[in-house]
Amino acid sequence: MESMREILALQSRLKDAGYVAEPALAAALLLMLDLGRPLLLEGDAGVGKTEVAKALAAVRGARLIRLQCYEGLDVHAAMYEWNYQRQLLAIKLLEHDERPATVKEQDIFSERYLLKRPLLEAISCEAQPVLLIDEIDRADEAFEAYLLELLSDFQMSIPELGTVHAVTRPLVVITSNGTRELSDALRRRCLYQYIEYPDPAKELAIVEIKLPHAAGQLARQVVQFVQSVRRMDLQKRPGVAETLDWTAALLRMGISVIDDDGAERILETLSALIKTRDDRAGFTREVVARIAAAC
Amino acid sequence: MLTPASNPAVDLAAALRVRLAGFTGFLRANGYAVGGADAVDVLETVARTGILDRQILRWNLKALLCGRGEEWRRFDGLFDAWFLPPNKKLFVASNVAPAGVQNSAGGAPHDATEAEPVAAAGHGAAGDSDADPVRHGASRTEALASRDFRDLTRAEHARDVEALMRRFARRLKHVRLRREARCEHGRRLDLQGTIRRSVAYGGTPLRLAWKDRRRVRPRLVLLLDVSRSMSLYSFFYLRLARALCGELADVHCFIFHTRITGVGEALRDPDPWRAQERLHVLAVGWGGGTRIGECLRDFNRGPGARLVHSRTGVIIVSDGYDTGEPEVLAEALARLRRRARRIVWLNPLLSQPGFSPESRGMRAAAPHIDLLAPGADLAGVARVLPQIIEALG
Repeated sequence: MESMREILALQSRLKDAGYVAEPALAAALLLMLDLGRPLLLEGDAGVGKTEVAKALAAVRGARLIRLQCYEGLDVHAAMYEWNYQRQLLAIKLLEHDERPATVKEQDIFSERYLLKRPLLEAISCEAQPVLLIDEIDRADEAFEAYLLELLSDFQMSIPELGTVHAVTRPLVVITSNGTRELSDALRRRCLYQYIEYPDPAKELAIVEIKLPHAAGQLARQVVQFVQSVRRMDLQKRPGVAETLDWTAALLRMGISVIDDDGAERILETLSALIKTRDDRAGFTREVVARIAAAC
Repeated sequence: MLTPASNPAVDLAAALRVRLAGFTGFLRANGYAVGGADAVDVLETVARTGILDRQILRWNLKALLCGRGEEWRRFDGLFDAWFLPPNKKLFVASNVAPAGVQNSAGGAPHDATEAEPVAAAGHGAAGDSDADPVRHGASRTEALASRDFRDLTRAEHARDVEALMRRFARRLKHVRLRREARCEHGRRLDLQGTIRRSVAYGGTPLRLAWKDRRRVRPRLVLLLDVSRSMSLYSFFYLRLARALCGELADVHCFIFHTRITGVGEALRDPDPWRAQERLHVLAVGWGGGTRIGECLRDFNRGPGARLVHSRTGVIIVSDGYDTGEPEVLAEALARLRRRARRIVWLNPLLSQPGFSPESRGMRAAAPHIDLLAPGADLAGVARVLPQIIEALG
């Protein structure tokens, strides 16, 4: 029976793996292990959706297999493809072979010539891997349907070879940025977590874990600065990744405290935090000084 | 054997289990896409994880039953309403009056998200769809309809709109990308695919593979001005939007005057009369004036950030009479322009003789629009549609 103790234990193990998780997320991960269902993560870009899969793999000591989705992603790129150049070569080489034809054919369509793409790789792993299907909203609806089938049976049929059954069921983490509405069927099959931008305490913890050098005053100020930037009207709000980049940039510049006087130098590093020209135009020296003064 | 009184924990667990059984139904009544299978999952999960720790129960059910961000944000309020004793009255009352389920039970979370008028307005109206206010709304709709198409009966007009939209949708389905993909019969030989297939015939390319430009359905976003100055036309355009939503999957419709709100759900209502009522409820009671700039800005910040991509055509229908600052409009449009493929502005007033788009709003908007066209009647819209299709290809 799952208990608060277990949830907190997983939370602290995730933290050891470098990921600061809400207890709700830890609970969902436990449930996912329990029920063997995929976990669908949604949220704005840069809130750390992909990191969840990486941390989970680290905690479980499992292999992480990643499938990055894109428009036009098809079976050959996601599941398997025959290495037909080598097959053709083999056909030529086998022409004068004395073995019976059926044996030759079996040889040509054997696993030796099969190129495993991430999905096939994931279901043929000996030890349970973590399968990360990143940004599924970029792939087409047709691919989503393929995926649904795979996720319900954990088997894949390859016409020339037969059906491949999963050796172990992979732990599936799916992320979406919400650029396209996902099908209800997929949503219903998955457990769900919506990941928000972190609150100051959580963001501080993340910065301190990832960049121990910044711990203390700088980390606190950076987090406050970023949190107030997020409240501004921007095209692209900075995510956690941007916070970390910016902190690293500040450290590199030898800045250890954010204050009014340092606004000039903060401006120089701001490109790590603000990623569009329009947004950048709004950050004049005065604006930066004002935010910095409040930190 | 234990009597219930002697072990309060067992008693509580049993009582909670009873409560739990109704929870999926309660969520369904509040617009969640949960089904019977989910109820089974809930019981299974609870059997594993226990029921007594409310926090764990909340986290588990949340992960299990939510499917989208909007459901995620409303969940905590609904969970409290269902499981916490102080709120008990709320759901008992809502169960008695079936028409009010969504409203009264969902009331608390909606108040909490007042900052997101789009979501809140959409759901408030969904609840109102078969409630009382609808009844005295009907006469107003009649009046609106008769004002709108003076020369056409409702049925004729509806048929015309639908025929036009079907033609438009068909052509939109044939818009192709430059990027090519494998297909059975295409324009060009796919050498890689042909070689791959030849393996099955011992290296002889017996079956050829082809490729052709990929077909895509571009996304359309309609932004309809429903302010008073547009009242003669907004009904017609809503009808158009409804027909379009019926034909194409990737159409997103929003209405605005002082605020902007999504009406996709209401438009897709299978019952046309109820759809109209829902739209009506969404459109009324926002006070006068048109704040096009602010509405577009809100759209950019909210749903637009997610919806508008490089293959999106944005169609704005408005007379351009903006009571807000023209600078706001210009900036919002410029932002939208950078993200979208094309921005088309239909202005019903353009076809009036002697009218020139000299209002402050139109002047501010002009540099950011790809196509400004009149759209006072069906023929006008029909003339513009081919240009829209061309622009999206």
